[in-house]
Amino acid sequence: MNMQTSGSPILRMLSIPAILCVMMLSSCAEEYYVYGVDDVEITPVNSTKDKPKTHAQYISILYANMFQKAIGPNQMLQALNAIESIGDKQVAYDMLVSKYMNDPEVKIPTVESMRADPETFVRETYKRFLVRQPTEAELQWMINYIDSRPAVTPELIFFSFATSNEHAHY
Amino acid sequence: MKRRKFIATSSLATAGAITMPYILPSGLLSMTTTPPLSEYVVFVLFAGGVRQQESVLQRYLAEGQNENVEGNIMYNLLTGAPPNDKIAYGQDDTANNIIGGIPIDPILQTPLDQIGTLFPEMRVSKGGAGHFNGLSTGVSGNYYVTQGLRSRPASPTIFEYLRKHAGFKATDCWFVSVGITGSRPLLNYSAHEAYGRMYGGNFIAPTTTFGEPGMAHFMNFKNYHPDTEWEMILEMREFLNQNFQQQGLEIAHLYNEVDEEIKIKEFVRNTFLKVNAGNVTLPPVNDNGDLKTIGYAVEVLNWFKPKLMVVDMTNIDVCHGDYTAYLKNLHRADHGVGFLWREIQRIPEMAGRTTMIVMPEHGRDLEHNPIQDDNDWYAYDHSGNNENTRRIFSLMAGPGIDGNLRVGSVDNPVGDSADIVPTIADLFGVKQLITSQGLLDPAARSLFDRI
Repeated sequence: MNMQTSGSPILRMLSIPAILCVMMLSSCAEEYYVYGVDDVEITPVNSTKDKPKTHAQYISILYANMFQKAIGPNQMLQALNAIESIGDKQVAYDMLVSKYMNDPEVKIPTVESMRADPETFVRETYKRFLVRQPTEAELQWMINYIDSRPAVTPELIFFSFATSNEHAHY
Repeated sequence: MKRRKFIATSSLATAGAITMPYILPSGLLSMTTTPPLSEYVVFVLFAGGVRQQESVLQRYLAEGQNENVEGNIMYNLLTGAPPNDKIAYGQDDTANNIIGGIPIDPILQTPLDQIGTLFPEMRVSKGGAGHFNGLSTGVSGNYYVTQGLRSRPASPTIFEYLRKHAGFKATDCWFVSVGITGSRPLLNYSAHEAYGRMYGGNFIAPTTTFGEPGMAHFMNFKNYHPDTEWEMILEMREFLNQNFQQQGLEIAHLYNEVDEEIKIKEFVRNTFLKVNAGNVTLPPVNDNGDLKTIGYAVEVLNWFKPKLMVVDMTNIDVCHGDYTAYLKNLHRADHGVGFLWREIQRIPEMAGRTTMIVMPEHGRDLEHNPIQDDNDWYAYDHSGNNENTRRIFSLMAGPGIDGNLRVGSVDNPVGDSADIVPTIADLFGVKQLITSQGLLDPAARSLFDRI
């Protein structure tokens, strides 16, 4: 016996909500996203400094860092000639910086101020000579060095920065 | 040549030269080394451009100025009577108002050509007649026909060869320069990729280092205590450099060891003390830059006892515009070389163990230019197309080198300006090691092999 249901008004009334429910359920289906990680080259903070300063650049920046003023043209010419006259530029820079350290006008923080706030001193020194903030590892190493060596002075630290390879590049 | 006799009469040495390896002082062992003939070599670039006519030919004014006066104004190097008329090459006779009227007394009782071997007619066989070309060839044994000023030699210098292949330290090798002009400060190492700064010789231009520039920016530099302050500086600098090391970039240093760097600084400090006290070992007459440089070169010899020192001059080049000044400076260059040789014999470690080689970097023109000086004498340039500029001489004296020997003549030139590098290598017993690198001029040979 065949039942004819499609024409039943009751069934028709029930089928409409059922379709709506299916539609609603299907509209709430969860979408899945796949997240990836792009390759990123991690470089040191000083990696952009890949150009050596000319002797003139080195001297003028050094002088400004040490004396907080610009070097005069005659002084610059003489300093350039002095540097040029020595073949080993590390030796030449060492002598130039230590000569400046003997100048009464050189601007160096006091030992007391360094020891009172080593972190600020280290951050300022990095900013002054290397034009950047230290990494956390660099900061801790320098603070530990200052703390563990009572004889270390701002002058010696300045000397190290001024004659470091990074200070000679930009 | 005594070198040949030396080897021939020593069966051990002969065997060593042919079949047995020789251990260099550096510990380097090679089948291609031979017993060194000399422990120290001083190479004087008798530079500025010297005409044969006024030097080895001893023609004084006879060929240069058409005046019938001949004579030897280089009597520390060469045997020969000085001129007896128109004396203008000495010190000024202020009492009688005669410029250059008082010849400088000889320093050496026996001229160097009597205790050494003279190559009176060598050639600058290639390249132009420029100072840089000549100086570069002198230190590299190669020619540069296209390079300009302010560039390093393209092929390795003798300093690099000796440091790389013979184990010399940086402070074993010195270029003492008369100045910092042109390419002079660039002659201590080459731009060759397999050599370069890592094997460079130390360089100093002492009249600048100890002149006004150095006095303003080096003198009285602070002396940090090596065991305390300096050690801390090195520790901190090493830390900073390690954090920059991945760049492979560094200050252009010459790989002097730490103790060598300290020794150089102490030399500078000590020499400033001597300068201020007037105690620099200068030649008796020291009225030009060449002679002051020679004096400082003696200070370098005394302090470092370098195995190889190259010292250059330049004042002779005044000949472009002043022939009288040229004669005076030529006479003074001879005075400087005589003084240098005498002082070497006064250094116990170097006396009798040092070979000195003297060679101009090039000659000068045969024909004068239109410029006349106060004596109405004409000046001379050094032009690229003038064969007279290719004529040079060389003199070498030292242990095992025959005296009173002349090799070559005007009609039979012997020797090339590129020969000095293989000659120095030969003196140190590493000729094969260096020539086998294939970077010397193809015509370059040890002067010992040309005899």
